[in-house]
Amino acid sequence: MNGDHRGIDTAPSFPGIAARAAETDATGRIPLQNWKELTDSGYLRLFHSPDIGGTGADGPTQAAAMEALARACAGTFWAATVSALLCAKLISTYGDTREHARLLRPLLSGERLATFAVVEKTAGSDSGTFRTTVRPAGPAGSDFVITGEKSRIANSPAADLAVVLARREKLPGDDGPDWCLAFVDLRQPRVQRYAIPHMGLRGMSWGGIVFDDAHVAAADVVPVPIEELAEGMAWGWLFIAFAAIGIAESALAASVRHARQRVSFGRPLAHMEGVQAQLAESHAQIDAARLLAHRVTCERAAGRSARDLIGMLKIYATEMAVGVAARAVQIHGAAGVTSGHEVERLYRDAQMNVIGGFASNRLREQVAEGLGLGPAVYRAFDWVTPSGLGRDPVGLDGLVHAAGDGA
Amino acid sequence: MLSHTLANGAADADGGGLSLVEWARELAGRVVRPTAAERDRDRRWDQGIFAELSGARSGPGLAGPLVPRALGGGGLSATRTCALLEGLGDGGRDPGLALAVGVHAVLATVLLRAFGNPRQQRRYLPRMASGEWVGAVSLRQTQGAAHASTVTARPAAAGLGGWVLSGELDLVAGAPVAHHFLVIAAHDDGSRTAFVVDRTTPGLLINDVGPVAMRTCPWGQVMLDGCVVPEDAVLSTVGGAADEVEPLLAALDWVFLSAPWLGVMRALTRDAIADAREHHLFGRPVVHAQSARFTLADQAAQCELASGLLYRAAGQFDGGGRPSREDAAAARLFVAAAARAVTEGAARLPGALGTTGDHLIERAHRDALFFAETGGGTEVLRPVIAASLLGIG
Repeated sequence: MNGDHRGIDTAPSFPGIAARAAETDATGRIPLQNWKELTDSGYLRLFHSPDIGGTGADGPTQAAAMEALARACAGTFWAATVSALLCAKLISTYGDTREHARLLRPLLSGERLATFAVVEKTAGSDSGTFRTTVRPAGPAGSDFVITGEKSRIANSPAADLAVVLARREKLPGDDGPDWCLAFVDLRQPRVQRYAIPHMGLRGMSWGGIVFDDAHVAAADVVPVPIEELAEGMAWGWLFIAFAAIGIAESALAASVRHARQRVSFGRPLAHMEGVQAQLAESHAQIDAARLLAHRVTCERAAGRSARDLIGMLKIYATEMAVGVAARAVQIHGAAGVTSGHEVERLYRDAQMNVIGGFASNRLREQVAEGLGLGPAVYRAFDWVTPSGLGRDPVGLDGLVHAAGDGA
Repeated sequence: MLSHTLANGAADADGGGLSLVEWARELAGRVVRPTAAERDRDRRWDQGIFAELSGARSGPGLAGPLVPRALGGGGLSATRTCALLEGLGDGGRDPGLALAVGVHAVLATVLLRAFGNPRQQRRYLPRMASGEWVGAVSLRQTQGAAHASTVTARPAAAGLGGWVLSGELDLVAGAPVAHHFLVIAAHDDGSRTAFVVDRTTPGLLINDVGPVAMRTCPWGQVMLDGCVVPEDAVLSTVGGAADEVEPLLAALDWVFLSAPWLGVMRALTRDAIADAREHHLFGRPVVHAQSARFTLADQAAQCELASGLLYRAAGQFDGGGRPSREDAAAARLFVAAAARAVTEGAARLPGALGTTGDHLIERAHRDALFFAETGGGTEVLRPVIAASLLGIG
C-alpha cells in the first residue's frame, strides 16, 4: 500500500496490540501487556471531560484513536471500549458524576473493567421479555438487591462492574420509571458468571451473569425511562461501527499486500482486474463509512445527538465490513480459510458487529422511525389468503380436470 | 435532526451559515422543476431557464461559480459549488439539465481558469460566467485516453501557424447551444493537446444526435472537417494534455457531475417517505411494512454516505492542494452505485410508479443508468482506485 495512503497508514497505531492480535484471538484472552499499552496510550481517558478524569479529546482525535485500536485488534478494542467509552458514558450520563466518580475513576485508569448487561436469554433486543429486577433489600431508604440473568454480554465473564438494565419493583405511590440502570459490583458472592464460546472477537470475554439477590447500593440504582436509553446506547452503535471499519481496513490492507506478493498464472494477483475491482469497491465503501463515522464522532463530541446518523452508520459499516472481509478471504484463497490466518479471524470478527449492540434490522426500524414513519407496527400476518393469493390456481382448463377426477 | 442533515449536509461540510444547498434547491424548484417532465418528453433545452439560473439575483449565478470575481464569476469555493449543484439536482429534479449546467459551469470554465492564458481567460470567462456563452465538452473526452482519440491535430500549412483539427466527437454536452468546444486532439506521435474551438470555425458541423437518456441536456455530435484553428486556440502546452488538462478534466467530471445526483437521491428519498405515508397494501399503510421501512432507512443512509465522499473530494479542490484522483474516483464509484440503489428502492415501493406527478423515478432510473457509465464507469473508476492502492498501473 502506498505510504501516503490517507486514513489507513497515518493514524496513531497500537503496534504491540496489533502484533499480539492473533495470539489474543487464539488464547481467548487479552494479554496484560495490551492493558498496559492501552493505559499508557491514554486511550481510556479520551472520551471524557477532565472533571471525571478524562482528557476531553476532540472529535477527530477520538475517531482516529478508535479506528486505530479497532484496526490493531478488534477484540481488544471491543473489550476496552465497552468499558471506557460505553459504560463510562452511561454512568456519567444517567448517573451523578460526583457520586459515581468512585466508579468512573477506575474505569478510566484501566484498573477496572465494566460490562453493559442488557439482553437476556429470551429475546435479544425486546425489552418486554426482560425479567431482571431490582427491589429494596429492606425498608425504605436501605440498599437494593438484584435478581435475574443476563446472557450473551460482552466483557461479562471478566468485568468488575456491570451497568445493568433492570426492572424496578415499585412500592405503592412510586410513579417513577419502570426501568433503571443498576451499577452492580460483580465481585460479590451472589453473582455467578459463565463464559460462552463465540464466533469472533474471541479475545474479548463473552457470556452470562446470574444475579441471585446480589447487593446494589441505593446510590447505584438510577431510574431511567427506557426510551431515553437509546441516547446512551448510541455510543455503543458508534464504537461498533468503528470496530467494523477497523476490521474492513485490516482486511483490505491484507488483501492489497497479498495481491502484490502472490504470483498466480505468471503474474502477481494485483495485475488481475477481477481482484482490482474487489479492492476498489472495498476501498470506496470503507471510505464512505469512515467519513460518516468521523462526522458523527465530531457531532457527538460537540454534544449533539446524531443518533439517527449513528444508526445509519452502524447498519452500513457493519454489513460493509462483512462484505469486505468475505472479499479478503476470497482474494487469499485457501490461506484465507485456514484457522489462524489474519483474514480468517477478521471474517469471524466482522460478523459480530452486525449482531452486537442492536442488530441491523432492529436499527433500521429506529432509523425509519427517525424518518418520520412512526414506530414499528406489529400485526399478525393474516392478509394474504383474504387477498385471494393464499391458494394454488386451477390449471389452464379451469375446473375440468378436477371434475374428471370425480367421474 | 434528520431533516436537517438530509437537507443541509453541505452547510455542515462547508461550515457556512445559510445553506447554499437550500438556496439552490429553492431556485431550481421555482425555475427548473415545473417544466422538467415536459422538457424531458419533448427532448427540449430551454435557454431561458439557463439564463435565469445564470443571472440569479439573490445569490451566485450557476453559470460561473468557480470563475473568479474579477472575471465576472461567483468566486465560490469548490465545496460551495458542489452544494449549488446538489441543490440544483434536488430542487430541479432534472438530471439532464443539471448535467448541462455542470459541464458548462465546472468542466468548461475551470479548464480555462486553470490552463487558459490571460488573453483566453479575458475573452471567454466573463461571458461564460454570465451565461452568454456556453462551453461544451464531449463526455468521451473526460477519461483521459481511456477511449481512443477520435480527433487528430496536424500543423497547418507552413507559414500560416495554427493547427488543423479533423475527426468527430459524440456525446458533446451543450453542443447545439455552445459558443465554443473543448477538444482534445491527438498528434501523430500519440501525444495530445487541448484546444478551445469556437463554433464559428469553418469546417465545424454539429449533428443533432444524442443518447436516449438525459434528454433535457442539449446533445450533439461535433464534426471537425479540417478545421483550421490559431495557435491561440491551444489550451496550455502543445502535447501536454496527458499531464495537464486530462487529469483535471477527469476529476472534475467524477466529482462535480456527481453532485446533482446527490440532490436527486435526496429528492427521491423525500418523495418515497411521503408516498409511503399515503399508500396502502393488503389493507395496511405501507409505512407499517418492515420491508418498506428498511428500504427507506437504507436510502437515507446512502444519501449521507455519498455526501461524505462527495464533499471530501470537492473540498480537496479548495485550499490550493492537489486533489486526489483516488478520492475523486471513489466518490463517483459510490455515488453512481448509490444513485441506482436509491432509484431502484424508490421504484419498488408500492404506488411509486403513478401516472401523475413528474415521473422523477422513471426519468432518474433511465438517467442513473447512463450516469453510471459516464466518467468511464466502473471499468475506468475501479482500475484508477486499484492502481493507487496497489502502487502499480
